[in-house]
Amino acid sequence: MKEHEVISSGLLESYVLGTTTVEENELVRDLCIKHPSLTDEIELIEEALINYSAQTITPLNKELKNKISDKLFSNTNTETEIIPITKTDKTIRLYKLGIAASIVFFITSIAYIFYLQDNLHISEVNSIKIINAKISAEEKVYEQQQSLNALESKLQILSDPKIKTVGLKGMNSLASNSALIHWNTESDAVYFNASKLPATAAGKQYQLWAIVDGKPIDIGVIDLVNDTTFQKMKSVKGAQSFAVTIEKAGGAIAPTMDTMCLLGNV
Amino acid sequence: MTKKITYNQDELINLIRQRNQKAFTFLYDNYSKALFGVINSIVSSQEEAEDVLQNTFVKIWNNFESYEESKGRLYTWMLNIARNLAIDSTRSKHEKIKSKIQSTNDTVYQKNNLYVDDTAHESIGIRAILGTLKEEHKIIIDLAYFEGYTQEEISKKLNLPLGTVKTKVRQAILTLRDLTKKEFLQ
Repeated sequence: MKEHEVISSGLLESYVLGTTTVEENELVRDLCIKHPSLTDEIELIEEALINYSAQTITPLNKELKNKISDKLFSNTNTETEIIPITKTDKTIRLYKLGIAASIVFFITSIAYIFYLQDNLHISEVNSIKIINAKISAEEKVYEQQQSLNALESKLQILSDPKIKTVGLKGMNSLASNSALIHWNTESDAVYFNASKLPATAAGKQYQLWAIVDGKPIDIGVIDLVNDTTFQKMKSVKGAQSFAVTIEKAGGAIAPTMDTMCLLGNV
Repeated sequence: MTKKITYNQDELINLIRQRNQKAFTFLYDNYSKALFGVINSIVSSQEEAEDVLQNTFVKIWNNFESYEESKGRLYTWMLNIARNLAIDSTRSKHEKIKSKIQSTNDTVYQKNNLYVDDTAHESIGIRAILGTLKEEHKIIIDLAYFEGYTQEEISKKLNLPLGTVKTKVRQAILTLRDLTKKEFLQ
């Protein structure tokens, strides 16, 4: 093959792109030995491709170089995983509506996934864009599934006829807030429904008390972070009222009356 | 001003074989953006792209014995690693999310008889690039460069004669070479 024939054949482009066969690679190597100027041509192709893909719109994190360098020249390793959190709602009616809407969305998403399904013969030809579209659809389905599960677990608690719901009225710092207690009068299980409470100051936590025969009993601190379902508190018998105070993180042995912010009678 | 250090491919390869830190610095400074661009066009998030880039350099560094000069350019070898890791990452993400859904929803996922023509999704994620390439060239370059399609595969996928694909790949790269030259002159 003559030099200009090689250049116009497209072989060198494929060679740099990494899509040539072993035989073609050997051919290119032999040709380069015969015509050294072909190496210059190859370098120009390579340079053009490098410049092309280096022009990404997303800037590269400046810290990454040091991070990789540390990994190669010392031996450290860290990995983190992010878990999505879903939000909640209040009455049974709303839950039912929410569940219905979720189911509709869920079915639509599943249908979309089926719609994208055909291209899973990805071993020879990489339909990466299709896979990416599938992933984001599937992630939505997964999120929906999680929130559907959360709604169902709430609905299950609320649908129990033995559940008594106690409204807690806001006072002092939480004057405009409210919360609910769902109390199973047979099993004594207590669920705290805190969907709308503001975050406490750092180092503080809400704590729930049951008032039995005029005495406050600690039934647990409230975890505002994990609100995908109602928070199950310690069980209690014969409570006449429930109250929430703001205590140091981890809770106190006795309630600080000045910080009482929610109160409701059974 | 400090003078930019350059190595030719042979010098660079020798330095990497010695696991010289200067070689890493040179590799990163000269190739990280280009490899990141390729990875970023395959995976779906910046965070994932950065992870894949990191794994790419680790693999380049730790598996350098498997690179043979006679089999291709150093950049091509690195490009293949980046491309394969990005595709693996996308697939494993897909498997993971699929099994999460499957574990709670076996029955819905069983039937699989819908059909889709994937050309409809072809435009998803095609990247904005500062340089200007004709759309037809861009599609072909993206397939060949970012996703590693061979010219035969491109011909099949886009339903174009192989000869046409070859010409277009070459024309596209010639355009890129012109752009590179112009930037250099500016």
